[in-house]
Amino acid sequence: MKKHWKSLAERNTKSDTHSKNDIPKGNLEQLLDIFDGDQSASKSNRRDFLKLCGYSLAISTVLASCENSVQKAIPYLIKPEEITPGKANYYASSYVNGSDYCSILIKTREGRPIKIEGNDLSVVSHGGTSARVQASILGLYDTNRYKFPKIEDTKASWEELDQEIRKTLEAFKNSNEKLVLLTPSIYSPSSRQIIKAFQQAYPNIDWIQYDSSSSSAMIQANEMCFDKTGISEYRFDNADLIVSFDADFLGNWLDSVEHIRQYSKKRKLSDANTSMSRHIQYESRLSLTGSNADYRITVKPSEQALLMAQLYNEILILKDKDNYQLTDSSEDIKELAKELWKNKGKSLVLAGENDIDKQVLVNAINFELENYGITLRVDKQLKTKQAKDEDMEDLLSDMKSGKVKGLLCYDVNPVFDYYKGSELAQAIKKLPFSVALSKEPNETSDLFNYIAPDNHYLESWNDLEPRTSRYSLMQPGIRPLFDTRQFQSSLLAWMGKETDYLKYIQNYWEQNMYPLQAAYPNFISFWQHTLQKGVFEPKTDSVFDTKFSHQNMDELMSEISKLSASDGVELQVYESIAIGNGSMANNPWLQELPDPITKVCWDNYLTISPKQAAELDLETGDVVELNSKAKFPVYILPGQANNTIAIASGYGRTVCGVVGKNVGVNVAEWISFSGQTRQNITGNVKLQKTGEKYELAMTQTHHSMEGRAIVKEATLSEYLNNPAAGNEVDHEFDNAGIYEKPNFPDHHWGLVVDLNSCVGCGACSVACQSENNVPVVGKKEVIRAHEMSWIRIDRYFSGNEDNPEVFFQPVMCQHCDNAPCENVCPVAATTHSSEGLNQMAYNRCIGTRYCGNNCPYKVRRFNWFDFTKADSIPNNLHDIAEMTIDLKRMVLNPDVVIRAKGVIEKCSMCVQRIQDGKLNAKLKGKPVKDGEIKTACQQACPSGAIIFGDLNDKESQLVKETTSKRNYHLLEEIHTLPSVSYLTKIRNKISNQT
Amino acid sequence: MSKLYRLLFALVLNFLLISPYALFANPQDSVEQVKQEGHHVAYFLTSKLRGERLFKGLTRVPTSTKACISCHNVEYIDTFNWNPSARDIAGTFADKPISDYRKVLLNPLGKKMSESHVDYTFTDEELEYIKTYLGEIKENSSYTRKPNINSIIIFLFLGALITLSLIDLFFTKKIKYKFIPILIFMLSFAYQIQMLTEGAMALGRKQNYAPDQPIKFSHKTHATNNKIDCRYCHTMVDDSKSAGIPHVSLCLNCHMIVREGTNSGKFEINKIHVAIENNTPIKWIRIHQLPDHVFFSHAQHVNVGKRECKECHGTIEEMNVVRQVNDLSMGWCLDCHDKTAVAFQTNGYYSSGFKKLHEDLATGVIDTVRVKDIGGRECARCHY
Repeated sequence: MKKHWKSLAERNTKSDTHSKNDIPKGNLEQLLDIFDGDQSASKSNRRDFLKLCGYSLAISTVLASCENSVQKAIPYLIKPEEITPGKANYYASSYVNGSDYCSILIKTREGRPIKIEGNDLSVVSHGGTSARVQASILGLYDTNRYKFPKIEDTKASWEELDQEIRKTLEAFKNSNEKLVLLTPSIYSPSSRQIIKAFQQAYPNIDWIQYDSSSSSAMIQANEMCFDKTGISEYRFDNADLIVSFDADFLGNWLDSVEHIRQYSKKRKLSDANTSMSRHIQYESRLSLTGSNADYRITVKPSEQALLMAQLYNEILILKDKDNYQLTDSSEDIKELAKELWKNKGKSLVLAGENDIDKQVLVNAINFELENYGITLRVDKQLKTKQAKDEDMEDLLSDMKSGKVKGLLCYDVNPVFDYYKGSELAQAIKKLPFSVALSKEPNETSDLFNYIAPDNHYLESWNDLEPRTSRYSLMQPGIRPLFDTRQFQSSLLAWMGKETDYLKYIQNYWEQNMYPLQAAYPNFISFWQHTLQKGVFEPKTDSVFDTKFSHQNMDELMSEISKLSASDGVELQVYESIAIGNGSMANNPWLQELPDPITKVCWDNYLTISPKQAAELDLETGDVVELNSKAKFPVYILPGQANNTIAIASGYGRTVCGVVGKNVGVNVAEWISFSGQTRQNITGNVKLQKTGEKYELAMTQTHHSMEGRAIVKEATLSEYLNNPAAGNEVDHEFDNAGIYEKPNFPDHHWGLVVDLNSCVGCGACSVACQSENNVPVVGKKEVIRAHEMSWIRIDRYFSGNEDNPEVFFQPVMCQHCDNAPCENVCPVAATTHSSEGLNQMAYNRCIGTRYCGNNCPYKVRRFNWFDFTKADSIPNNLHDIAEMTIDLKRMVLNPDVVIRAKGVIEKCSMCVQRIQDGKLNAKLKGKPVKDGEIKTACQQACPSGAIIFGDLNDKESQLVKETTSKRNYHLLEEIHTLPSVSYLTKIRNKISNQT
Repeated sequence: MSKLYRLLFALVLNFLLISPYALFANPQDSVEQVKQEGHHVAYFLTSKLRGERLFKGLTRVPTSTKACISCHNVEYIDTFNWNPSARDIAGTFADKPISDYRKVLLNPLGKKMSESHVDYTFTDEELEYIKTYLGEIKENSSYTRKPNINSIIIFLFLGALITLSLIDLFFTKKIKYKFIPILIFMLSFAYQIQMLTEGAMALGRKQNYAPDQPIKFSHKTHATNNKIDCRYCHTMVDDSKSAGIPHVSLCLNCHMIVREGTNSGKFEINKIHVAIENNTPIKWIRIHQLPDHVFFSHAQHVNVGKRECKECHGTIEEMNVVRQVNDLSMGWCLDCHDKTAVAFQTNGYYSSGFKKLHEDLATGVIDTVRVKDIGGRECARCHY
């Protein structure tokens, strides 16, 4: 058994339990802290205690004398036909945030959206979602949004605004002075047409697209190599061997939802399918993708180009083609080249960096390996990123020189995330005319003359083409909450046209999409069916002869061969899994979602290798100074390549709502421009220890499992020899108890989590939060280990700390049939149902927390405060996420009660969905079908790692998984008999070396 | 010993301090405070008084005609009155011109009204006074109901008895036999505690709650007299959690034509038309309400369980004013779950699985499957 460790502290001290000095405070002491203005230093005394008693007495008297308030029941005047109060409606739509795309269903109750679910019909996202997609619903009810149009910071009407803007636009047109429309990549066909029409109406307007995280190099490399501008579409489900150079394709590289689906599909093991892809990752920081790789090799960013060139050369040698003079490649690279050649046509080589040379090399390698048309293709493209980095450079210089007189800026925030943000801000301030079309105030829109607020995507109509000829519709789930208007309508208004964008889309689709199919006899039925499905994917025969040609390959190779590895420390700026580019920084669900690897939330930080930390005498939480410019707290990350450091961008928003404001530090200025593309790598940075300390909110060392066999694992070859490899002692303790094993004859609900599919992305955590009204507690409370997530993803390291193997394990309530929590509850608030569920009756709970103490899985959470305004006692409130504001409370799921202060809560296995599913079955008079009921975590999961079902239904997918040889229970030796089980993690390694 | 004694004393004191509040709470006295907007009527005082006297029939009323107050009550009354109250009228007419008053009063529309509004002769001046009075009612009045004082008096009386008996027991010692004050003390204390427990248990429950509704809607008229099926209006009862209060346009299905009620005349029905015209919803007072932590589904009980409406709501079709018949407490729910049989053989949902119950039924261990047998007593069936 390998030793698994959760943090370096644990590894070094052999245990991560708290030292004596920081024993956490008790309930009463913490309460008294509140009374003392929350200064933990001040001592509480007897007087405080008396005050508290008096206070509680007063409260109870007031409560007891309260009359029942008069409740109103207000029916509709005229009920909309499709709404049945008490029943949810689902509308197919699309999530779009810059380059993030997902096909979704909006769950609405009584006309208000409350949850996002994946759309199974989409061939792009396949019903999967990401953490950001799940969290986006909260953005609709964000109090920070623009609520009306503004002219120079004063409220205006749309008529006034339109009149002034049209007048100004006309004036600029007549004097033929250059204006610029700055947008993110626009992949909506109708919007593109509108923008073109807008440019025709005002020929002096230039249109520039800007992606906050650029993929310009891939676009340009494809243009050079194949004469086809755009980003290739990748098919990880066709690849037997994936070699990735720093491409975090399960994280933020292009479209993670689609990639995770394809990746897991190829790696799903069952009796029928015993093959899986092999994944080799070269990278410097430990990314989500790297942590899932079968082999991970740490290299500095500056060393990668040479490795890729050598790989290319070795492949050419294997193909007996003309090769180049390079330094001798290592055995590993030769071996890798052979492996790739063996898997030619079924392999995929990726480069993550925004560097044209590297992308050209990768294209060449994939071409030589004959992968085009199978694992990736240029004719089918990913259209969510189209921006070229030079355009933005030109815009800035034009603005500085005064050539550009005005800027119309939609949905981008370059002042915050562009590396020359402050220069851009100066230039914007000087512009005589600037219009911001964003939905909420941000660093950029704050500087603009006119604010023409855009709708939230849940209030908008749109059409999208995220991949070549994969169309998708966006329909609103609600009318605009505020006096806002969508971007496209604004452009139409400024052209003096009819502002109904829906009609515009319909016209466009009637002309362009309707002829692409033959199934529907008229446009109306085509439109309605497409709208209902949310996606339209016509069959297209694409014949594209992929011919690779690159004029300057010799030059490129000789240049790379001249590169010498630098000795200095290299800094990499990356986007974090939760926050992304920072546009959703005001979303508390995302802020509190711990990073999959570091388990830190509410902050960005500098990750550093353990070796370098030892050299510089740093420990996690020390503050370092970078090039004497900026200060960051340090996080010692096992697996970070030596002499490299990494910091997440998207933090440090200064113009933002209360949640995201001044969380972390903005690192946009550490991005640089190479002359062609923006790059996230800075070489030769200097680290200086400052002696300051900073407390990071980590969820990782809270629930130590003390080195037991938590995650079971095996290599593929071991698994093929023996399907029970790594899991030799499974189910041995099933009948170990002195009591008879409980029997559930009706239903026996259960979950199984395939650890081989789970990539640790965290979508389930946010989905659960959204479904079950799980509160956000804030950074301070997370530091006190009071986070509330019902499903957490534990992360374990094993092996060498310089390059460990990483394991992810989602842990929710295990619904033990022999539950330790149930026996110790003095008031029988937690009991077992006849369907195998561990039930929790909040109103019975008196908050002794015995159950939480007795739970071996540490999944029970205690409400230290009232986070969601469950009662009307003001001093109970602790509102970090503004969830006590009526507008934000709209997002609460009416089918799940909100918990008051002082009660324990935990995963209910989405009992509200089970009850709903059972009721629907009874109404139909049929047994519950397998797959009809899905838990929120299962629904959200892009990899299909979580499967819910009835353990009594022998035909169900769940039973197939639980009878697998890989199946095991968590800590089964303590005989809790969980209803939740796991499948062993299998790595496709040649042998189990660490 | 003394410590324990003191603690006990403190407990009793605390108990007595807190608990009487439970007695104040009366399920029926939830009074709606209505604050309506309206312009201030700047008439001199006497015109209001004169209006009041006219309205109440204290002046110049021919014996042949009834005073307004004989039909339109000003104060809250316990008995049901079909006619619009003074407050209702004030809400509609206070701001209308005198010509409207004249039209309505002297040329009544509709059968019911023309029966009572006969031979009225009011001058414009008098109508002006009545108008002023109604304006005053609209401004200020909201019905106030006196709290149920009896229980408090009894409670205090018992408290006095306890005090006296204790004083006599320890100090005055007038009563010869010690068991008498002790008995008095114990009985009074026991009764007090019983009052408190009952009061406390009724807290938050609204059995017998029958508030005035914004429209005098009679289930008796609709369901019994006119034989309209419950589901005609409560359309969602089979599909949704909520049975659904009918939306206003549904009322218009009939009331487009039926403009006058047999009992209430035109005034109440007209409110539907006013609501539609003014685009203002009708704010009914909710009667049957479970706490937020209870999830109850009408579809489950009515459609799947085939329960009759009256099993929970009582004979609503007999009621002119809806009253909550049952206390809707958890014990009441569970009583029914214990007794009620499930359509185990007929509903296909139970056809696969449920082996043990099928066996037990076949072997005669049980004769019917009841709700409690399929988990009807478990927390997470209603609380999640």
